[in-house]
Amino acid sequence: MTMLKIENLHVQVGTTEIIKGLNLEVKAGEVHAIMGPNGAGKSTLASTIAGRDDYEVTSGSVTFQGKDLLDLESHERAGEGIFLGFQYPVEIPGVSNLNFLRTALNGVRKYKGEDEMSAGEFMKLVRAKASDLKMDVDMLKRFVNVGFSGGEKKRNEMVQMAVLDPKFAVLDETDSGLDIDALRIVSEGINAQRRDDTAILLITHYQRLLDYVQPDVVHVLADGQIVKSGGKELALELEEKGYADVA
Amino acid sequence: MQEALFENYEKQVWELAGIVPGSEGVRMRAFKQAVKLGLPTKRDEDWRYSDVKFLNDISFSISKKPKAIEVKQAPLSQNYAARLVFVNGYFDEDLSDYAELLEAVNVRPLANHFTSNPDRVDELVEGGDGVALLNTALMIGGMVISVPANTVIEKPVEILNYSTGTEQSASHIRHVLEIGEAASLNIIEHFVGDAISGNYWNNSVIQARVSEGGSLTHHRVQEEGAHAFHTAKAHVSLDAGANYSCSNLMLGAKVSRFEGHVKVMGEDARATIDGVALAGKDQSHDILTNVRHMVPGSTSDQVVRTIADAFGKTAFQGKVIVDKDAQETEADQSFKALLFDRRGEANAKPELEILADDVKCSHGATVGELDEKAIFYLTSRGVDPVTARQILVSAFTADAFERVDDELKTVIAEKVAQWMTERNIG
Ligand SMILES: Nc1ncnc2c1ncn2[C@@H]1O[C@H](COP(=O)(O)OP(=O)(O)OP(=O)(O)O)[C@@H](O)[C@H]1O
Ligand SMILES: [Mg+2]
Repeated sequence: MTMLKIENLHVQVGTTEIIKGLNLEVKAGEVHAIMGPNGAGKSTLASTIAGRDDYEVTSGSVTFQGKDLLDLESHERAGEGIFLGFQYPVEIPGVSNLNFLRTALNGVRKYKGEDEMSAGEFMKLVRAKASDLKMDVDMLKRFVNVGFSGGEKKRNEMVQMAVLDPKFAVLDETDSGLDIDALRIVSEGINAQRRDDTAILLITHYQRLLDYVQPDVVHVLADGQIVKSGGKELALELEEKGYADVA
Repeated sequence: MQEALFENYEKQVWELAGIVPGSEGVRMRAFKQAVKLGLPTKRDEDWRYSDVKFLNDISFSISKKPKAIEVKQAPLSQNYAARLVFVNGYFDEDLSDYAELLEAVNVRPLANHFTSNPDRVDELVEGGDGVALLNTALMIGGMVISVPANTVIEKPVEILNYSTGTEQSASHIRHVLEIGEAASLNIIEHFVGDAISGNYWNNSVIQARVSEGGSLTHHRVQEEGAHAFHTAKAHVSLDAGANYSCSNLMLGAKVSRFEGHVKVMGEDARATIDGVALAGKDQSHDILTNVRHMVPGSTSDQVVRTIADAFGKTAFQGKVIVDKDAQETEADQSFKALLFDRRGEANAKPELEILADDVKCSHGATVGELDEKAIFYLTSRGVDPVTARQILVSAFTADAFERVDDELKTVIAEKVAQWMTERNIG
C-alpha cells in the first residue's frame, strides 16, 4: 500500500527554486534513505512534507494515504500521522518539553477524534519512551531544547516521535552529532517505529545509521531531484566513490 | 488652550472642598501648581509616547457616586485578607469585606487624613506633574492603610476599582500606604470598567512608605473599559532593607499609563517593577519607571514585556538614577516587545544616570516578532497554530510575572491567553 506519493514536485523558497521536479513513492512497511550533497534540497523536501508555509509548492502533488497533503496545514498533517525529526531542533525558552509534548499529543488525538490523554497516563507513556531512549525525564521538565547538547536534542526528537507514534516519520539527519552509544540507542528507537503499518524516510550523510536501520530503498537527491535510486548497497557505493561518480 | 479646562477643574475643587472638610488648603495649593505646570502634552519628554491628547481635549467632570449597585466582579484572589471595593472612585462599604483586617491593621478613609496628617498628602504638590497635581486637587476616595511594625499580612488585600464609566467622568483616587518596620502588606489593585462604559478617566495615585525591613507587594491588573483613560502613579520610598515588588498587567483602556517612582533611601533595600502590556487596535499602553538609588548597596530590577497588535502602541521608559554615594548599587532592566503586525508600535527608552563609580547596571531592549521557526516546530508536532502562538506568548510574558505568587499568576496567565484568543491570529 502506498503511503506517500510525490509527483513532479517543485518548491520555491523566496524566488529560488530548490526542489525541481521530484518524484518519490514510499509504501507501508518500508524504510527509505535519502542521501545527497549539502544544499541539494533534502531538508527543504522534509519541511515541505511537514507543511512549512514559507516553502511554496509551485507545481506537483504530495499525497499521503490517498489524501492531498498540500491541502492540509502543518498541524493537520501531524494529525494524519506525519512527523518531522528536525535537522536543527528549535529551542523554545519558557516552554517546557512536557507541556509542549502533551499539547502536541492531545492536538493529534483531537484531530483523530480521540479523547485527551490524562496527565497521569501521559506521564506513564513519556516515562516509558524516555527510558527506552535512555533520556532522563528531568530533562523533559526543562524548556524545549534550551541548553541541550546537540546529541540530547536529537534524542529528544526521538522521544517525541515515540510518544506521538506517527505513521510516517521523516528523520532529517537524526544521526548527526550522536556519539556511538547514542547512535545505537536512537537506531533502536527508529527500528521500534518500523512496522507494517508505518513508513520512515531517513535523511542521512552516513552509512553508519544504515547499518543499524537497514533501508529498503536508497535515493540520491541532487540539485532538487532524485537522480538515482537503488537498494541498500547504493549507500555503500556512495560512501566509497562519492556523489560525483555514482549519480 | 488649557484655560477652559482649568476653569472647569477649579469649580470642582471648590465643590469638593465643601464636601470634604479640611481639604481646601491642599487642594488649592495643588490646583495652583497644576495651572502653573499645565497638563502634559506630547511635547513633554516623559509623555511623548503616550496618546495624551485626551487630557487636553476633554473637560472631565467628577464622577458620581452611583446608587446601590451590584458589582459581580469576582475577586482575583479567592483567599484574600480583605477586599476593598471602590465604585467610580467612591468607597463602597457594603461591597467591601475588611473587618478581619481591621484587627491587625489601621485602615481609614482618606478624608480623615486631610485633617489628621495634611503634610503627607501635601507631598505630591511638590515634584508632581500636572496629572498628579490634579489628582491631589480633585481626589475623592481612597484609603490610608497603616501596617504596624512586625505585622505581616500574608494574604492579599484586594482593591477593586470598578467604574460604571459615565462619559467624560473622572475619578481621582489616592491611597496612602504605611508599612511599619519589618511589617508586610500585599495589595492587588484591580481596575475594571463596565462593559458599556464610556470615555471616563481613572487617575490613581498611591503613596507608600516602607520602613526598615518592611515589604510591600503591589500587583496591578488593569482591565478598564474599551474607551477609558487610565493613568496611575505609585510613589514609593524605601528604608533600609525594605522591599517593594510591583507587577502590572495592562489589558484594558484606550490609553493607559503606569508610573512607578521609587526612592531607595535605605541600604540593602530592593525595588522591582515588572509589567506586561498588551495593546490591541487603537490602544496605547505606557510603563514609566523612575528608580533612584540614594544610598550604597541597594538593588532594583525591572522586567517589562509588551505586545502590540496592528494599530496598538506600547512604550517603556525606564530611568535609573544612581546617586554619587550609592556605591555597590545593582540595577537591572530588561525590556522585550513583540509586534504582531508591522502596523503595531513599540517604544523603549532606557535612561541610566549613574554618578557612583562602583555599580553593576544592566539593561537590554529588544523588539521582534514571534519566532516562525518555533511556531513551525510546534505545529509540525500537532499543536494548532492558535495554540502555538498562545504558548509562545505565555512564555514571552511569563518572565515579567515570575515574582507574582502562584494563585495570581494563574489568573494572569488565563487573562493573557484570553487576550490571545480574542486576537484570533493563527
Ligand atoms: N529560507 C531559505 N532562504 C533561502 N534559501 C534557502 C532557505 N532554505 C533553504 N535554502 C537554500 O536551499 C538550498 C537547499 O537547502 P536544504 O537545507 O534543503 O539542503 P540540504 O540538502 O538539507 O543540505 P544539508 O545536507 O547541508 O543539510 C540551499 O542552497 C539553501 O541555502
Ligand atoms: Mg539538511
